Amino acid sequence: MSGQVRAGLPNLLSPEVLASLSNLDLVARAAVHGFLTGLHRSPQFGFSQEFAEYRAYSEGDDPRFVDWNVYARTERTYIKRYLGETNTHLVILLDVSASMAFSSGGVSKLQYAKFLAATLAYLASRQHDAVGLIVFDEEVRDHHRPSSRIGRLHALLHAIDRAEAGTGTDLSVPFERFRQYQSGRGLVAVISDFYCDPEAMLKGVQPLAYQGQDVILFQVLDQQELEPEFKESALLEDMETGEAMEVSPIFMRSRYRERIQEHCDALKKAAARGGADYQLLRTNEPLDAALRNYLTFRQRRG
Amino acid sequence: MTLLAPLFLLGVLAVGLPLWLHRLSSENPNRQQFSSAMFLEPGEPRRVLAKNLQYLLLLALRIAVLVLLALTFARPALQGAAQAMLEEDARLNLIIMDTSASMRHGDRWERARQAALDVIAAAPAGDLLQLIAAGRTARVITEPTVDPASVRQSLNALVPDYSHLDYGEVMNSVDRMLRGINVATQVHLITDLQRTSMPTRFAQLAAQAPLTLEIHDVSRPGETNWAVQSVTWQPAAQEAAVSVRSFATQAAERTVVLELNGARAAAQPMSIPAGGTVTASFAGVELASGANRVRLYIEPGDDLETDDQRFIVVKRPEPRTILLISADPTRRDAFFLTAALEAVNGPLTVVEPVTPGALRERDLSRYAFVVAADAGVLAPADAGLLRTYVAGGGAMLLGLGQRSGGLDAVPVTGHTFLGTTQLGARAGEFTLVGSMDTTHPALAGTEELRSAKFYRYTGLTPAPGDQVLAALEQGPPLLIEHALGQGRVIVFTSSLDRQWNDLPVLPVFVPLMAGVSAYLAGDLAVQTEAQLGNTLSARAVGLAGGQIFDPTGNAALGIAAGAGAEVLLDQIGFYEVLGGGVTELVAVNMDPNESDLTPVEPNAVDRWRGLNAGAGAATADAAMDLNPAEPTPLWPWVLGLLIAMVFVESWVGNWHLRVRRGIAA
Repeated sequence: MSGQVRAGLPNLLSPEVLASLSNLDLVARAAVHGFLTGLHRSPQFGFSQEFAEYRAYSEGDDPRFVDWNVYARTERTYIKRYLGETNTHLVILLDVSASMAFSSGGVSKLQYAKFLAATLAYLASRQHDAVGLIVFDEEVRDHHRPSSRIGRLHALLHAIDRAEAGTGTDLSVPFERFRQYQSGRGLVAVISDFYCDPEAMLKGVQPLAYQGQDVILFQVLDQQELEPEFKESALLEDMETGEAMEVSPIFMRSRYRERIQEHCDALKKAAARGGADYQLLRTNEPLDAALRNYLTFRQRRG
Repeated sequence: MTLLAPLFLLGVLAVGLPLWLHRLSSENPNRQQFSSAMFLEPGEPRRVLAKNLQYLLLLALRIAVLVLLALTFARPALQGAAQAMLEEDARLNLIIMDTSASMRHGDRWERARQAALDVIAAAPAGDLLQLIAAGRTARVITEPTVDPASVRQSLNALVPDYSHLDYGEVMNSVDRMLRGINVATQVHLITDLQRTSMPTRFAQLAAQAPLTLEIHDVSRPGETNWAVQSVTWQPAAQEAAVSVRSFATQAAERTVVLELNGARAAAQPMSIPAGGTVTASFAGVELASGANRVRLYIEPGDDLETDDQRFIVVKRPEPRTILLISADPTRRDAFFLTAALEAVNGPLTVVEPVTPGALRERDLSRYAFVVAADAGVLAPADAGLLRTYVAGGGAMLLGLGQRSGGLDAVPVTGHTFLGTTQLGARAGEFTLVGSMDTTHPALAGTEELRSAKFYRYTGLTPAPGDQVLAALEQGPPLLIEHALGQGRVIVFTSSLDRQWNDLPVLPVFVPLMAGVSAYLAGDLAVQTEAQLGNTLSARAVGLAGGQIFDPTGNAALGIAAGAGAEVLLDQIGFYEVLGGGVTELVAVNMDPNESDLTPVEPNAVDRWRGLNAGAGAATADAAMDLNPAEPTPLWPWVLGLLIAMVFVESWVGNWHLRVRRGIAA
């Protein structure tokens, strides 16, 4: 029942509701709290303050989490661990290519991707995970290395907020940058519309998997991209290349849908082969599915 | 085609708007941004072409609607073909051919025709030519044209008639023809310049329309003519008197011949002095029964043969019997009436008395008409007989005398009595005739009737359709014409003797009875002579209907035509009217004015030319605006087309918009 709303209250995870909030920080908080409010206690996810285990204190651990009662009895310092606390890092790869600016009336893919990125960052931050960000199109536009320092989240959210649609897409560039600066294991969330060759995407993802990174691919698409409705021929212009093409409504209703579906399937298979998770997100859907998927992913990692 | 409001054509500039909009639309034909063209492929060229064609169709329809709208306001009209072919410096050459009877003299017509051909030949190419025949009226022979051949052809078919020409009327007709035409006009009047054709007022020769008048005189000095000027017939003496006039400068010997019903009946030689008139008489002409064709002519003939003869129709008087119904076999009660009837009709008229009781023994159809001096003597049976007689085409004169006082209604006509008014109780009491219709043939020459004194009369209410010919001062009718079936009854509301009035002893009583009897006998209804150019109908000669044959024997009016159908009398001779087993003749003669060949004085011709000279030159450079006929309006058709186009445009546009609305944003 997660992600659903109480009677009379708006769905705080709805893209339209989130879009009405002016501050991305508020967006992230609203999304996460909305999500957590609807999230019942579930052993599957285990994100709570429930005790999980004790671990010997090591240098660098937060002294606040030392169980002083145990210390009093045993004079040994143990850290009390709770479910969901695994101290990992999350790097969000946010695609801001021109095609991400597409919208068929509601929020654009880029807006949706920003909401998702901010929400993931906020959620991860609450779990004390270090969060990093790479904003890219054909090039890396912004890069924030993972950090769990207090106040770092705001800088990250600000970076997400100021991201604007750029030019084309080249997935190899952010993956390459990621490999250059990231040595430890962690989580990698790639948010993109993935208008690229699935095999090329695989070539970028696979090395990360070999590094021990857990990669989750969020493919953000508009409903009009998946199931376009045209009643007359139209001249469609590629937002990245500027190439224009007059297409018939019959083609858009039949062959095009088959092609995009084949592409999505190919991406999914490529992700599976590369050891990555894949999730298709539609811009008219709430963020529930994405967050739930992330937590599942996170738990598996933890 | 011309435009009556060409400024509205500026509205065509509005086509720029749809052109601009369509161009704008063509530059952005449903152009939409899309994430990626990775999975797209171009549409079929045929579908793209169809869409483009549909687009062009809508554009064409919109342009057509705007053009038609502007054209409707510009009021297009079809103009005559001649104007379209006119050159800027072209002018109108109006050739007026004198076709009056005098143009038949010698070779005048041939000279006139040659003069017209010369005018046609001299006209510059591109000039308009129009041919007019001027006789009794001006007739348009050809419309303005730039084709000389067609004018020549019409000219060769033209012949002079027997009419009289009036130059004043000609100029008036030219004015009417040139009304609304703003083009330099040269009028060529080809005529023999007869003095008798000049109008009463010289100013009538001035045309109001701007034109230049050129007179082509085709007469020659010294041309002679002798004409039969008039013929009169004396019925009593059976004598024809004929006047022959000379229009020549030398004396001549001629023979006057009387031709009766196509046969030469008598001839008389005569010496005609130069410019003089000689009269000859033919007495004791033996006429045939009915109408006779009498033609008087001179021989040998001259160069103008049409006026060498004259036609008259003479009817031989037939014995006629008038039936007088009188209660007194000695006719003393109708003494004055009988005397008057016998006096005016001569020895050929017999007044036959009959008592009312013996009326049924008589064949009433034998009588010219029936007179009842006092309607009071008629028994109902007699009234019924007379009613049948009148309704079958008979005629009757009915007096209301002393014995009518006891009746409720007038026998035969059925008028209701309003009572008898007695004015003679005291001396000096009487009434006079207050009003009378002197235009009625029965009352011609009876003005003295107003002096008659009436002491007593019977009041009547005229029936619908009755004609009151005379009424007394107080208003009651005195003479009423009552139509009954095919016949008629004249009712006299006083007595026809001296008992109620003094009319019988007055001189006017005789012409009154003469007029009434002539009217009732039908003598006045028959027309035997008519003017050339007038019309003739069967009714004019007293027939209910029939055929009319012209002097050449051709049927001018078919038998199927009604009694009111008319024939234009455009030939001289005898017109024959056949109907109901009766043949009537009408003689038509040439206007005597045409016989006088004396030309107009040269100075008068110069003054005439001066009146109309140079006016045309003033407008020679004016813009061509020849508008001889009302242009045929085309805008109703254009409007219909516009409405149809708006419907089609709406349909196509709506279909187009429906498709566009269906496109996803």
